[in-house]
Amino acid sequence: MERTLMDRRTFVQVTASGAAAAALASQLGCLKHFEKGRAAVPQPLQIPTTCGMCVNMCSVIAEVEGGVIHKLNPNPKNPKTRGMLCARGNAGLKSVYDPDRLKQPLIRVGKRGEGKWRAASWDEAFDYTSKKLLAIKEKYGPQGVLWSSTEGPQEHFFKNLGLAFGSPNIVRHPSLCLASVNLAYSATFGTVPAFDMLNADYVIMSGANRFESIITPDTMDLIGSVMLRKARLVYLDPRFTVTASKADTWFPIRPGTDMAFILAMLNVIIGEGRYDKDFVSAYTVGIDKLADHVKKYTPDWAEKETEIPAREIVKIAREFADAAPRALYYSGRRSSWYKNDFQMRRAQAILNAIAGNWDREGGMVPNAAIALGEYLFMPWDDPAAERVDQIEKNFPLAAVGDGTYLKLRENVLAGQPYPVKGWMVYKQDPLSGLPDQGKTLSMLQQMDFVAVTDVQMSDTAWYADVVFPEATYLERLDPAVGLAGIWPVVVFWQPVVKPLHDVKPNLEIVQGLAKRLGLNDYFDYTMEDWLKAQVQDLPVDAPMDYMKKNGLFVSKDAPKYGTTLTPDHRFITKTGKIEIYSERLQESGYDPLPVYQPPAAPPPDKFRMILGRRAYFTQANTSNNPWLHEFAPTNHLWINPQPASRLGISTGDQVEVSSTSGTVRLQARVTEEIRPDCVFMLHGFGKHSRWQKLAYDNGACDAQVLETAWDQVSGNAAFHETFVTIRKV
Amino acid sequence: MADKGKKKRYALVLDSKKCMNCKACVVACKAENGVPVGKFRNWIDEEKRGAYPKLLMTFDPGQCMHCENPSCVRVCPTGASYQRPDGIVLINYSDCIGCRYCMIACPYNARYFREDLGVVDKCTFCVQRVDRGQLPACVETCPSKVRVFGDLDDANGELQALLTTRRYLVKKPETGNGPQLYYLL
Repeated sequence: MERTLMDRRTFVQVTASGAAAAALASQLGCLKHFEKGRAAVPQPLQIPTTCGMCVNMCSVIAEVEGGVIHKLNPNPKNPKTRGMLCARGNAGLKSVYDPDRLKQPLIRVGKRGEGKWRAASWDEAFDYTSKKLLAIKEKYGPQGVLWSSTEGPQEHFFKNLGLAFGSPNIVRHPSLCLASVNLAYSATFGTVPAFDMLNADYVIMSGANRFESIITPDTMDLIGSVMLRKARLVYLDPRFTVTASKADTWFPIRPGTDMAFILAMLNVIIGEGRYDKDFVSAYTVGIDKLADHVKKYTPDWAEKETEIPAREIVKIAREFADAAPRALYYSGRRSSWYKNDFQMRRAQAILNAIAGNWDREGGMVPNAAIALGEYLFMPWDDPAAERVDQIEKNFPLAAVGDGTYLKLRENVLAGQPYPVKGWMVYKQDPLSGLPDQGKTLSMLQQMDFVAVTDVQMSDTAWYADVVFPEATYLERLDPAVGLAGIWPVVVFWQPVVKPLHDVKPNLEIVQGLAKRLGLNDYFDYTMEDWLKAQVQDLPVDAPMDYMKKNGLFVSKDAPKYGTTLTPDHRFITKTGKIEIYSERLQESGYDPLPVYQPPAAPPPDKFRMILGRRAYFTQANTSNNPWLHEFAPTNHLWINPQPASRLGISTGDQVEVSSTSGTVRLQARVTEEIRPDCVFMLHGFGKHSRWQKLAYDNGACDAQVLETAWDQVSGNAAFHETFVTIRKV
Repeated sequence: MADKGKKKRYALVLDSKKCMNCKACVVACKAENGVPVGKFRNWIDEEKRGAYPKLLMTFDPGQCMHCENPSCVRVCPTGASYQRPDGIVLINYSDCIGCRYCMIACPYNARYFREDLGVVDKCTFCVQRVDRGQLPACVETCPSKVRVFGDLDDANGELQALLTTRRYLVKKPETGNGPQLYYLL
């Protein structure tokens, strides 16, 4: 035994400085402490930075020993994330030391998706890409190139390259995520508020599975309150989730009927005169129209729609009104559910409005923000062409800069109103993220050129022509990000280790291309220039040094409530008031008050497929992380025992799931934790990319089965509108 | 924690009701202590009961109990398993011959065998962190603050405050091991 240990020590001594030994050295770090004759406890470097595993931006302190990240710890100085780091955050260092990560630029040599690559120098990859892009520009105009990206501190550099190139076709993640909820709250309050979960006494959640798909600070605020009996939680979800298990009341609501529940609550609260009359008369417009509108939406009617007993709806409505203003109908985050999602979120917003919880402790609070400076770069002309998704025509109220992904795909596939033949992708995996993967693949295949920038070989990268390897968030200096909220903070990333391979931060990739595309002047700055401009006015001495030392800036001011509750405050709406009834919606051809549309019932022998997330994974991005993978080594089809026995399905059986979009196979999990009319599978599996060893051909990819549908107002994808047949194979 | 000289008794108080089974503690431990994939120094058990739609789900975090009278230490033939004066039960890996008697003796199944090193391993309360004044990794990282770590002998400490004001249980007290993980009810 002693000899084995000697061998190990020798091995570590010889290789500890090399990057190859990184993972091993980090694993053995803990054991060193117990070796005989060791006097001092090793003191690793403590480098404050920010997590990049999801979009929450929790503050972390990286412990670095000998140039290797040993551990990521939470940084308690951040008032939003306090002393927490979730499983993903803790597993973040594995993204640096992932043997499967992208290590150098790659150019495809085989067919698309065949996985045959050759390593290229950065110069060659830049030259090759810019030549292709300029050829497309020449033939189809700059609008012939699509630029799609997902949230991250360096996303805007990529977006700006697309705009400077002259393309209006920038498409971001919101129309696959929260576009409908954002638009609904904006249409009502003129802004998207934060929810003061820490001080709320009564919270209702529709599907927002906050204890399972962690969002800081809401998750932390609420779990403490609910478990210490400070707050009550009512939870509606077709699945029995962790949140359902912690809630005071859980209703397995009939999917797609949340709006009926909310309208019936409005019916009770208005009918019984329990709303905040002073607030409503001072700050809102349209209560009379709403009162008439919701008369028909009685609790008895809603019981038939939702399968929630009418007496429970009445009880919840009364409790909610009594708890107001410390009562919240929580907005949720991924709101890409149904075709009428916008109107369902509008109903929530209106319920919150008449409860008078606006800008009150325990209610909804307009976001505070810390002002950051801006680096003044040379501006470019606005792109001349209209957007390929024709967003102004199709979704006049939607956020133009974000685009509407599914309509865009439909138009690109049709070649309307013009051809789009180049696709630049940053940090996004459209093949996994968009429903109806076959269509996304067709869109990709009709492109003359596709390039992807990512840290790992995503499914989309697997089908690309050129792949640019980006440095991970632990290897980069990034722009600072001001996180708005009840406690605003500015977070900051700095490299805690040197980049492990021949990878670059996104800005340098953008600049490498800009130089060759004749757009150099627009990107003639360094990350340090950008950062300095951002932080220079923060009220601290030597702001850059301060950020490097602390990793974040926190405003000393305590949360303020009621700053907008003055008679002369103008909300950013047409009337300057909170719009219960919205003329703007009416003018755009939409219902000015939320009108209920019953969801289609699944045809006999079909099931509604519903989605959800677990905080072991961020979308499809982390399924190759070995420390996260072991909690969910594959995905299963959740099916209730009642239909399962009818179909002769037992747990572990291989089943086939089919829709009009496609067919997948995976193992069944027969469980009481789901309604008999629904099935569920976890996202992030069934990958095509062989460089994601843990997820490749493992389980099933939901995107292959989901059908194309979108919300009528926001254009947000509607992921819960697919009916599937299940068959044991 | 850095306060030397005074006698200490480290222990952990857990409020399992707050546990969301998010596994942050498990990954934090894995990173801090280099626990191989597939092996665990700490874990979260899940208990599910009932039939749709009347369902219950509870979570139960577990790890080495750092017992007052640790049976693993008693059975160790080489003295590799030992207890520090502050109660932390450790393994001297250089002296471990991998016989795994301790794994059988542990009533809590808290120990696992590390094939790569030929030794038995388990939770150490992150002694390397505790000795430099930090909290154990699982305690620090927990999003819902299930765990409270501290000195049981500190009359003014948070542990005493919780244990004198809340009801709690310890697991398998009948073994006489005197486990030092206190689960709040």
